[in-house]
Amino acid sequence: MIREGHFGFYEAFSLMTIVLITKLFYTSPMVIIKSLGTAAWYGTLISCGITLVFFALLFSLMARFPQQDLYQIFEAVTGKIVGKILILIFAVYLLYKAGITLAEFIAVLNVYSMPYTPQSVLVFAFLLLVVAMAYVGLEGIARVAYVFFYPIIGSLFLLLLLAIPNYDYCYLTPLLGHGLLRTMETGVIRSAAYGEIVFLAVIINSIHGLKNFKKVGFITVISAGVIFSLCLSCILAAFQYTVGGEHLSGMYQLSRIIYFSRFLQRVESIFLFIWVITSLITVSFAFYLALSSYCRAFKIQNHRPLLLPFSTLVFVLALYPDNIAEIIEVHVKVLRAYSSLILMFIPIMVLIMALIRGKKGEKANDQAKP
Amino acid sequence: MSEQQGILSKLIALITYKKKNRPKTFTLAEMGEGQDAGNPNTNDQSNNRKKNSGDSRSNNTENIVQDSVKQQEKIVPGKPRRRALKKPFSPSELKSTRIEGDKVRSDIDSNIEVIKQVFGLPKNKDLIIREFQVGRKRRAFIAYLDGMADKNIINMYILSPLFKVQESDLPEGKGLNSSLESIIETNDTKNQDSIKKVATEILKGNTALYVHGLDYFLTCETIGFEKRGVEAPKTEGIVKGPQEAFGENLRTNVALLRRIIRNSNLITEFFEVGEKSSTTVAVLYLRDVVNPAIVKEVSRRLSNIAIDFLGNAGMLEELIEDNPYSIIPTILSTERPDRTASHIVEGRVAIVVDGAPFAMIVPVTMNALMHSPEDSSLKWQYTVGLRAIRFFAFFAASMLPGLYIAITTFHREMIPTDLLIAIAKAKENVPFPTIIEILLMEMGFELIREAGIRIPGIIGNTLGIIGALILGEAAVSANIVSPVLIIIVAVTGLSNFAIPNYSLAFGVRLARFYYILAGALLGFYGIVLALGGYVLMLVNLKSFGIPFLAVIAPKGRKSKDVILRWPLWMQEARPDYLNPLDRRRQPEIARRWAQEDPDKA
Repeated sequence: MIREGHFGFYEAFSLMTIVLITKLFYTSPMVIIKSLGTAAWYGTLISCGITLVFFALLFSLMARFPQQDLYQIFEAVTGKIVGKILILIFAVYLLYKAGITLAEFIAVLNVYSMPYTPQSVLVFAFLLLVVAMAYVGLEGIARVAYVFFYPIIGSLFLLLLLAIPNYDYCYLTPLLGHGLLRTMETGVIRSAAYGEIVFLAVIINSIHGLKNFKKVGFITVISAGVIFSLCLSCILAAFQYTVGGEHLSGMYQLSRIIYFSRFLQRVESIFLFIWVITSLITVSFAFYLALSSYCRAFKIQNHRPLLLPFSTLVFVLALYPDNIAEIIEVHVKVLRAYSSLILMFIPIMVLIMALIRGKKGEKANDQAKP
Repeated sequence: MSEQQGILSKLIALITYKKKNRPKTFTLAEMGEGQDAGNPNTNDQSNNRKKNSGDSRSNNTENIVQDSVKQQEKIVPGKPRRRALKKPFSPSELKSTRIEGDKVRSDIDSNIEVIKQVFGLPKNKDLIIREFQVGRKRRAFIAYLDGMADKNIINMYILSPLFKVQESDLPEGKGLNSSLESIIETNDTKNQDSIKKVATEILKGNTALYVHGLDYFLTCETIGFEKRGVEAPKTEGIVKGPQEAFGENLRTNVALLRRIIRNSNLITEFFEVGEKSSTTVAVLYLRDVVNPAIVKEVSRRLSNIAIDFLGNAGMLEELIEDNPYSIIPTILSTERPDRTASHIVEGRVAIVVDGAPFAMIVPVTMNALMHSPEDSSLKWQYTVGLRAIRFFAFFAASMLPGLYIAITTFHREMIPTDLLIAIAKAKENVPFPTIIEILLMEMGFELIREAGIRIPGIIGNTLGIIGALILGEAAVSANIVSPVLIIIVAVTGLSNFAIPNYSLAFGVRLARFYYILAGALLGFYGIVLALGGYVLMLVNLKSFGIPFLAVIAPKGRKSKDVILRWPLWMQEARPDYLNPLDRRRQPEIARRWAQEDPDKA
């Protein structure tokens, strides 16, 4: 088994929060504003609420098997073969997520900031660092996330504050958007946007067990929900829902309209910093977990020799979509709307199976005895 | 062919699975980790120690003899004898095998012969062997190195008393030892029954005395070579605070520290490093404060260095640091005794090399490298401001040219229009692309700096300033670089000098070119990626098991002396990441007088 190292509450919280909020900087605000209109800001809170319910279920599953991570639970409940298949499904999903997240990031970067640089060059440079991060391992990625957490959150709030003169709060009305039913429906479907929280159960042994798992999980989902909602409100207030649904990256557009004087304007550089770093941490995390999951499925002791083949796969995946429309309409939809089938459905099914078959972890069994 | 195979197998290894044993590393238990996390480390250490002690080949002749006896014992009777393949002895081992045994003989002629053999006489001219008679009946001799020992001490306190001894004053047998010790008037004498130890003492500058019939030498402390006195610091000068620096003499350096920390718990351990140079290395720590695991690790590393020559502290630093490939130093070198003492009191270990005017402090974190010795002498409010400037200097020195090239080449829209026009105007007549301009100026600056160090005395500094001015002015006039760029390079250079640690400043100079390359290739995107890589490197560095970014990542208990410096009376605890034996530095209320009623006192 790979030695993944240990890190504390703050590192885990920073890592998971960054992983959850990264999509805010891509096309997600555009998609959600397009489908929910002025109700987008609380539509995401509904998704957040659904994820909290899911996380409570996930916690009950983890509590039945203390000292075991999600993959070990898969094997313990469903048997070795099915368990390994489930782990491999996670590995493939993570690899796909790494590739498509990178493709989305590069596509938006190419449109806004680096129009003349070939995408392959941008992907290659990015992957070099992702491989370095994965080479170092999960502990290194978590530490990097923690170091950058405060600058990222600080810069994000600075952006929102600097754009205040452009806000018109009337743009948040009508409050019910395209209708409450539609908001509820979309909110439930898009709860997959917070689905990455399930990976906390995969790395549970690195974050000192259940107590930290519960704390990190709930706080991260709530924080991410608040940040999402706040940013969506700001985008809506600045651009109104019709224009807000047209911008490829709402947050980037927000940074471009900041104007205080002839000198203090166009502060995209702040945004570019947050954008690149959050993407880097998210893709590295997904890439490393994909590698780690694959190694777990086949009992490979060292993940480093797999870096080159896996990075080649991510490179190919990142350049696979023909255009940005394909990324948004096909791949991002799969990731942020239907991935709950993998991220949420599988753990819940495993929980139900564990309940039916009465399976428990060693310590839970001991505690159950009088 | 074999080289080709090597490259091929390395390439194949990149894409195939190959099991590799992880090198064992020393780590201290981190914050929040329980005892379980610490135990494997101690096991690792003990395993490492066992392994290393098993691997190291002793120079001692007795060990060599024992090894050969053991090898002979392993031969199974009945089986045909195969010639054992042995690793060739090193020259020093061969030399020691020539001397039959390490024990001191009981006759004077053999001992003179052995000493001559050890020091290569008669070819070697600086060993003095002076034969004489004690009490007109016993033959004796002294041996010392010319220039290393103080001749006045030898004449007045060793030879003179021995010449004055009467025959009747010298008892026979065991009584002779105590009698000799009372005759010799030097401050320290030792009995040595090993030739190797006698040779070491002579090499240090002591004098070895042998009297016929004894089976040991008496070594007397006569160290008296020329040395530099205590002078003002050259690279860590401050305005307010002590103005003395370490010198080349180890004893003086240790004394300077002892004078500051007057505490019986201050321990000084000595190690010898270097097969040929036998350089003495002192390790100093406060035994009731320091984490014993750190001391053990320092001892383990120092005792397991197999090198022929140790000339200075920099060489030792390279041999004992955790990450030799890192461009950032993980050991703090300082020439100031006061700074060293403050670190020892915090729970760190100081390593002082004989002949080096620097002490090395381990373990250290990034923030320790950014602190200046003056920080504790100034009011805390001033220190906070100065530290903010230093951190700005750190970022400016490493990233400013890279950012300039990224913004002017890739993201011109980010520059406010007026500034953009000013930059464009200044650059109008320059024929080179920005990257060439920057590299030209940076190379020019580095050349001036390097040349300034080589040119002796005051001319060096003058050349630095004048050279930079003339070079910059001439380059602008000749339309080789733009004036804005001169400002960028000058600010970068100044920022580099504001970094308080010399080695860290070097690391930043290298990092600057890394950011320039990233900025030139991919603009701001490249800079941010490069920054990510740089931070990744920093979070993975360790200094004697302590994460280099400790307190920040991994997050530890809040410290009142990291980036901000709070008032001294608020700094109640020693750094948490060191896990010191005594965490509390001072009671909660350090300024007790503030609690008292002045009228009642």
